[in-house]
Amino acid sequence: MSEWFRVFKQGLSIENPLTVLMIGLCATLAVSTQFQNALFMGLAVIFVLTMSNVLISLFRKAIPSEVRIPIFIVIIAAFVTIVDLVMKAFVPGVYAVLGIWIPLIVVNCIILGRAEAFAYVNGVGLSIADGLGMGIGYSTVIVLLAFVRELFGTGHIVWFEGTLISLPSGYAPPSLLLLFPGAFLVFAFMIVGARWINERFEARKEAAACRP
Amino acid sequence: MSSVSQLALLFVGAALINNILLTRFIGLCPFFGVSSNMETSIGMSLSVIFVMVMSSTATWVVWEFVLAPLGVGEFLYIPAFILIIASLVQFVEMYLRKASPVLYRAMGIYLPLITTNCAVLATATEAAKPGFFKMNLAITNSAGALSLGEALVYTLGVSVGFGFALVTFAALRERLELAPVSRLMKGAPIAFITAGLLSLAYVGMSGWFGL
Repeated sequence: MSEWFRVFKQGLSIENPLTVLMIGLCATLAVSTQFQNALFMGLAVIFVLTMSNVLISLFRKAIPSEVRIPIFIVIIAAFVTIVDLVMKAFVPGVYAVLGIWIPLIVVNCIILGRAEAFAYVNGVGLSIADGLGMGIGYSTVIVLLAFVRELFGTGHIVWFEGTLISLPSGYAPPSLLLLFPGAFLVFAFMIVGARWINERFEARKEAAACRP
Repeated sequence: MSSVSQLALLFVGAALINNILLTRFIGLCPFFGVSSNMETSIGMSLSVIFVMVMSSTATWVVWEFVLAPLGVGEFLYIPAFILIIASLVQFVEMYLRKASPVLYRAMGIYLPLITTNCAVLATATEAAKPGFFKMNLAITNSAGALSLGEALVYTLGVSVGFGFALVTFAALRERLELAPVSRLMKGAPIAFITAGLLSLAYVGMSGWFGL
């Protein structure tokens, strides 16, 4: 069980797909203009990542290594199509904005990368931990990024019809944050933050290890 | 048939004004992955131009003559297109290894990477069924589709724009290696800030020619 949690936690911290491994950036930067969209994007990634990890690790002994990549892609594409159609049916408003980014999850390097590096060589239980950890690690970063960009770029956080949080009315939002350059700039500072936190953890761990 | 000026507009719009990397955020992994040196970024750009043109042609033909007539396009396009691209790239790699070792050495290592590059899938899908990512294309016919020639010009524009942005960014990053940057900012964060400024320049182009 402790192994399960270790794998789960890795996705959140020292192997975070976005701030540490820096893969799957395209969708992250593009959809993080709205808190609500980022949340749905995160959920879609958690679902596809966990399900494809489970299926691939179940069949890992049956999949020949020469043709594994096409097989992985077909498995991932099946789950992405499910998400694509479900979101189109139940949250059409969000789907209209996310649009292409849902089908593009197929070629998201995070999912293929985890299938190749983890699910193909590990058991089902650990693959679930990896899928959930990586997925939640991804969602945390994208939601945080969207929160900062929407709150300071428009002055308030919108949730479907209502408004969740508003900054005082005197605030003049810099629209740069909502444009493309803003995503790069905010994300750069998020990497710095994640590095700083990881370094602090490492230092604390070393200090604990040195103690008799 | 569309006139030459319309095609030129389509090309410029795809390459600069709607640059796929810096104004659409598509295909960012190689943008940060291979841009740390000039030589690899040129190799990557050439491979992307090559693969994109081939895969757009393939998806256009499959959409026009198989998926759309059968009426299964709406829910089969993702698996169908990605399979076409993956097998095409695999095939091209095998062919290049046999037929042209020089070319293979120049682009071989990038080809497997390109399979899972979202820029290729997005462009091939947009060329086959326009409106996919609201690119604001300058021309489409009455059914909202591109002809094969227009799809090729569009794809060429996107891939040349991709290469141009990648090579510019690689040049900036090579220079940045020499700059004194603080420890936490070194490497990726400063690269992101540079990309942000570069993207600001591209945002300035939006609205040219009414695109």
